[in-house]
Amino acid sequence: MNRLYDQNERPKASSRASPVLGGRGIAALRRSRTWNLNKPLLLMFAPVVLFFLLFRYVPMLGIVIAFKEYNFGDGIWGSPWVGLDNYRYLFGNPQMIGIIRNTFMLSALNVFVGFPFPIVLALLLNEVRRLWFKKWVQTLVYLPYFLNWVIVGGLVVMVFAQETGFVNYILKLLTGKPYPFLYEKHSWLTIFVGTTIWKGAGWTAIIYLAALTTIDPHLYEASAIDGAGKGRQIWHITLPGIRSTIALMFILNIGHVMDVGFDQVYTLQNSMVSDISEVISTWNYKYGLGTGEFSYGTALGLLESLVGLILVLTANAAAKKFDQGLW
Amino acid sequence: MGTSLGERMFYAVNYALLGIIGLICIVPLFHIVALSLSGPDAIATGRVSFWPVEPTLLAYKHMIDGTDILNAFKNSVIITAAGTAMNLVFTILAAYPLAKKHFYFRRFFTLAIVFTMLFKAGMIPDYLLVKSLGLVNTYWSLWLMGLISVYNLLILRSFFAGMPEELEDAARIDGSGEWRLLGQIILPLSLPVIATVTLFYAVGHWNAFFNVMIYIHDAEKYNLSVLVQNMIRSSSILAEMSNLNPEDYVQLTPEAVKSASVVVMTVPMLLVYPFLQKYFVKGALIGAVKG
Repeated sequence: MNRLYDQNERPKASSRASPVLGGRGIAALRRSRTWNLNKPLLLMFAPVVLFFLLFRYVPMLGIVIAFKEYNFGDGIWGSPWVGLDNYRYLFGNPQMIGIIRNTFMLSALNVFVGFPFPIVLALLLNEVRRLWFKKWVQTLVYLPYFLNWVIVGGLVVMVFAQETGFVNYILKLLTGKPYPFLYEKHSWLTIFVGTTIWKGAGWTAIIYLAALTTIDPHLYEASAIDGAGKGRQIWHITLPGIRSTIALMFILNIGHVMDVGFDQVYTLQNSMVSDISEVISTWNYKYGLGTGEFSYGTALGLLESLVGLILVLTANAAAKKFDQGLW
Repeated sequence: MGTSLGERMFYAVNYALLGIIGLICIVPLFHIVALSLSGPDAIATGRVSFWPVEPTLLAYKHMIDGTDILNAFKNSVIITAAGTAMNLVFTILAAYPLAKKHFYFRRFFTLAIVFTMLFKAGMIPDYLLVKSLGLVNTYWSLWLMGLISVYNLLILRSFFAGMPEELEDAARIDGSGEWRLLGQIILPLSLPVIATVTLFYAVGHWNAFFNVMIYIHDAEKYNLSVLVQNMIRSSSILAEMSNLNPEDYVQLTPEAVKSASVVVMTVPMLLVYPFLQKYFVKGALIGAVKG
């Protein structure tokens, strides 16, 4: 027990020059106390370090094959260096350019078109007075977040199918003709973004709802006395009250304008819309891994990771302007 | 409380809108349950909406007899249970030291860990590592590659860091070591946040798709996500079912079987979700504050 030298009790100056023990003695004792406190912690942390080294940092070494012509015989280290040849090939190939463009386009659609929905949802929920109703709606709108993309993809295929889908059943009753929703570019894109909103808007609304609770209720009472209606209150009190949250969420979202998830694209895409729906991760799965194009796949993956990293760091730097950076 | 006409209109519209939004979230699930329980004629003509037409359980019966879905269900349970247990142990071991101010290299370790969330090696380098370790086609590939989620680690760390230091000092005076302190004092006080983290991990394992697609090639080892995805995508699902003769095809539509497979995957989530919702929401809020 070295409690005697706990930071709270020890006068600051004494660590430098104690008349009794001398500066060295105190400092050494303090070091040994910190070391004693650290020993069990380091023991706990050792497997954690091992995990991050082996499963997160070692694969980063494998990125070198983006600059090599990988072959199975020679492996990662033995394969010949080719410099930037892989990138020259990727950027010189219209199909690959299309895949990079799709990755960017689909994520940007998700981020920007999807952005206002959680805010509107939170505003609507915030105006509900009957608690049971609010609870029910919240339970329903958070639910889709927990269903995976295989389920969402399955629902979409069933609901929008041309022959047997329910949407087309209604459409046939109204217009007499079904519409190939899943096979036309624009309707596919609409469905794609629609699933993002369906799955995520409720969940994201939680953050805005939390921000809304910090608005001073007196502001509403005062404005009601002044005769402000609901619309004016929302415009002049509620929205300004969560302005900084909205700005922060927007900036952070920009950090994700390159990472459309594999699962969403893979479960929704079909061969009729592959022009617009093939993205880096799905190409990597089908051809990078599937047909052994390891070097091209790694080069594409590195491109995606790097752009993502730059975007996130930029977004975070911007968020710091609002005093709300993440680290 | 004199509410004006305009205000009453506002509330009426608001309640109606929210009612519709709530329905949109649940109605596709009703539709798919209805499809899975409906007869072939009703499905073929697209007449099934939100309740079964010509109800029958044949789709479920044939799916259970003729596909690997029960086995895949079992695999999903194994992946989820064992994976979540390992996640918890190692996330606690990671979060507890990082929450201590006197922990050596605390800032360095935190940065090095957060960096792995921002920059990933990518699918192919990851695969090459898993392959070189001989883990392809074993669940260890899923468990080890996803052992610690940085997001959950940060949630737990910020909770541990918020605990009063007096607690620790008191335990030390009693002569407790670090392990007893963690096991007997810190963890019992952290049960709500541990429940939250457990649920996030469990949902992640149950919904696992991408990693299973990459690392598990043996059809017998597929989890529900991958099996159900293959069934949905199949253009000849009835022919692939081992127990069906061509003359049985009239009793069944591919849509009914596909819907039934989606229902099997969704129901466990629907059963636990209402009871656990508050823990999820808590996690979303802690996560939003930090990370």
